[in-house]
Amino acid sequence: MLFLSLCNTSVVILLIFVMQIIVRSVRHFCLTHANFGTEKSLLATLRKRTGYTFANCKKALEIHNNDLIKAENWLKQQAQAMGWSKATKLEGRQTTQGLIGVAVEENKGVLVEVNCETDFVSRNQEFHSVVQDTLNACLSYLKKQSVQGKLTKICLDSEQLKNLKLDDGKSLADRLALMIGTVGENASLKRAMCIKTAPEIRLAGYAHPSSNDDKTCQLGRLGGILVYKAIEENENTNAISRGICQHIVGMDPKKIGMSTDEPVANKDDEICLIHQEYLLDESMTVKEILEENKLEVIDFKRFECGECSKAARDQLLEYVETCQ
Amino acid sequence: MTSIIVARALAPVVHNSLKQLFSKSPRIRNYSKCLQVATVNYNQKRLYAEKKTFERTKPHCNVGTIGHVDHGKTTLTAAITKVLSEQKLAKARGYQDIDNAPEEKARGITINVAHIEYQTESRHYGHTDCPGHADYIKNMITGAAQMDGAIMVVAATDGVMPQTREHLLLAKQIGVNHIVVFINKVDAADKEMVELVEMEIRELLTEMGFDGENIPIIAGSALCALEGKNPEIGSEAIMKLLKEVDAYIPTPVRELDKPFLLPVEHTYSIQGRGTVVTGRLERGVLKKGAECEFVGYNKVLKSTITGVEMFHQLLDEAHAGDQIGALVRGLKRDDIKRGMIMAKPGTVKSHDHLESQVYVLSKEEGGRSKPFTSYIQLQMFSRTWDCAVQVIVPDKEMVIPGEDSKLVLKMIRPMVIEEGQRFTLRDGSQTLGTGVVTKTLPRLSENDRLSLTEGKKAREKKAAAESNPTAK
Repeated sequence: MLFLSLCNTSVVILLIFVMQIIVRSVRHFCLTHANFGTEKSLLATLRKRTGYTFANCKKALEIHNNDLIKAENWLKQQAQAMGWSKATKLEGRQTTQGLIGVAVEENKGVLVEVNCETDFVSRNQEFHSVVQDTLNACLSYLKKQSVQGKLTKICLDSEQLKNLKLDDGKSLADRLALMIGTVGENASLKRAMCIKTAPEIRLAGYAHPSSNDDKTCQLGRLGGILVYKAIEENENTNAISRGICQHIVGMDPKKIGMSTDEPVANKDDEICLIHQEYLLDESMTVKEILEENKLEVIDFKRFECGECSKAARDQLLEYVETCQ
Repeated sequence: MTSIIVARALAPVVHNSLKQLFSKSPRIRNYSKCLQVATVNYNQKRLYAEKKTFERTKPHCNVGTIGHVDHGKTTLTAAITKVLSEQKLAKARGYQDIDNAPEEKARGITINVAHIEYQTESRHYGHTDCPGHADYIKNMITGAAQMDGAIMVVAATDGVMPQTREHLLLAKQIGVNHIVVFINKVDAADKEMVELVEMEIRELLTEMGFDGENIPIIAGSALCALEGKNPEIGSEAIMKLLKEVDAYIPTPVRELDKPFLLPVEHTYSIQGRGTVVTGRLERGVLKKGAECEFVGYNKVLKSTITGVEMFHQLLDEAHAGDQIGALVRGLKRDDIKRGMIMAKPGTVKSHDHLESQVYVLSKEEGGRSKPFTSYIQLQMFSRTWDCAVQVIVPDKEMVIPGEDSKLVLKMIRPMVIEEGQRFTLRDGSQTLGTGVVTKTLPRLSENDRLSLTEGKKAREKKAAAESNPTAK
């Protein structure tokens, strides 16, 4: 019995050996005849199809004996794990560039900041889609929240953001790791501000630089959300509220300003929104614009990419203040 | 007198030999120190001589590296200096010297670029490495070092990354047309992978509008070169790369070799001689008797140079950089105005519509505190002229101080302007930003020019009329 099984194994080994010789000679034949080597085109196809790194594609093919479909499936399964390992490897690297995402949907508004290492990546489509996914995850999280009073503001930090779930059940952290695996650069979900308002209160969002088309998601280096109330609605309301939001993003006012706030002598140093000269029409102040169009500003929030890392850790108080 | 000169000339020699004499015999070594103190002047002189003077024997060329952060740009730069230092053509720079990480991280107002110099057999190079897109743009605008060509670094293990496309877009944007590719980390990959990466790069280059078929691609390992291992993929690959850089990236034409150009600063009328224009010859060589052309303010005037003077002395030929006065034939003083350009006939043209890349100074840098939008009226200064311009922001809604932007400028009158020319934009007494012309656009029509001075109301009215032409 033992002898038989031994015999069997030796036969199998011999067979494999012969097969390998045949395969090699065939491959050699193909290469010398100016055809592309079978294996080479396999690697090229796999890379084209999946976009994973050459090193990984090659590994996948080696493991699955050049079976393209199996290799592709394996790669897709492994992508998450590989992304995670890359993400852990790059964890310590500083991320100072990135994008601000702004999304406004009816009475829900979201501002997020996602960071990366170089501005090359922040211009890339892969990165854009991650920011968009983050916005969507925040919006669906916001759907479950209830409104108390006029508006509810929820501040999310990096950890909370990571645990948010996408529609397909994946966490945002997984999504981010996947992107890190593809672009090979560290990235982080910095912060988010979610605003949900009562029905009569409206929202406007603006991101800079952005194109003029009116999408729900806008991406830029700067972003802002304006919370306002239209006392009397007309066809200009949307355009004006967007303009004021643009003004907030551009001029960086520190507060709305009350009737008790006096305008400052030097107009360039004005930090009260209502006393600032309106960005799109310098002959008027924001206050005049608001009165003319019967709008009332309730709140606003402005994000600048990298402002947290620039202003070093001591700015943490700001979070405390805005979380209501 | 002569004896003093001879004595002075001989003194260092005598000092040297004396010093040698003293230092050879250990017993009286201490005296040599005394002597040094006594002749401190000569010592200082010798110290000056030790600082190497730059020898201008080879043409200069600026190159830069672009590529993904982990693909080994800095390692490649270090490897280049190391390989060349073995041939006494560069000073070897360590990885840390180039990758001044703390500075790169603390980005701010200043541009964080690493500048390294080295030379090959045929050329001298300035090498730039910027950390990000915005840094390259700022570098281009301020003209710290205009890149004549780029070395793109791609790792064989990763191949083309999603952001490689962005890297190539940048090269396009800053006007780099000549790229040499280095496939790095081949020690960690096999031959077929390298071939595939090369194929992929060529495909992408062609797609992005470069000459993908003919761009030189060299495979090697910068790390091996740096560590002195596997010379066939290490130092030899680096030498091959440099050879390709030498051959493929053209040497920029020196200012001196271009046709002459002089921005007019002043004009004088000299009794009995004629009209003299003064200014600094910006490029080329100006000879007596040369034909010339004055362009600017909607005028083109032809003339001949009948004399060239510098510091009231006659000059046979003036070279780029000389501050000169040129006597021109047959023109009155009032024909020529400051801001006109005197150039070789047919070499310059005036434009009034152009595309530019501008860096808008932040408030801390002395710029404007507020963002601006399209249709702002500014004053543009370039060479010796200035002109009112209307600014159009083409791809965003506003420009915030501290960022760079593409701007379209419409000038109220045509002036001589060329691609690559630098200018300053001012708003009243405040400098708003500085920029470089990237493209000249077709001339404005008469209607366009009239609309430049229109106010906002008129513009809105016109736009409304255009959008629904039936309503009156």
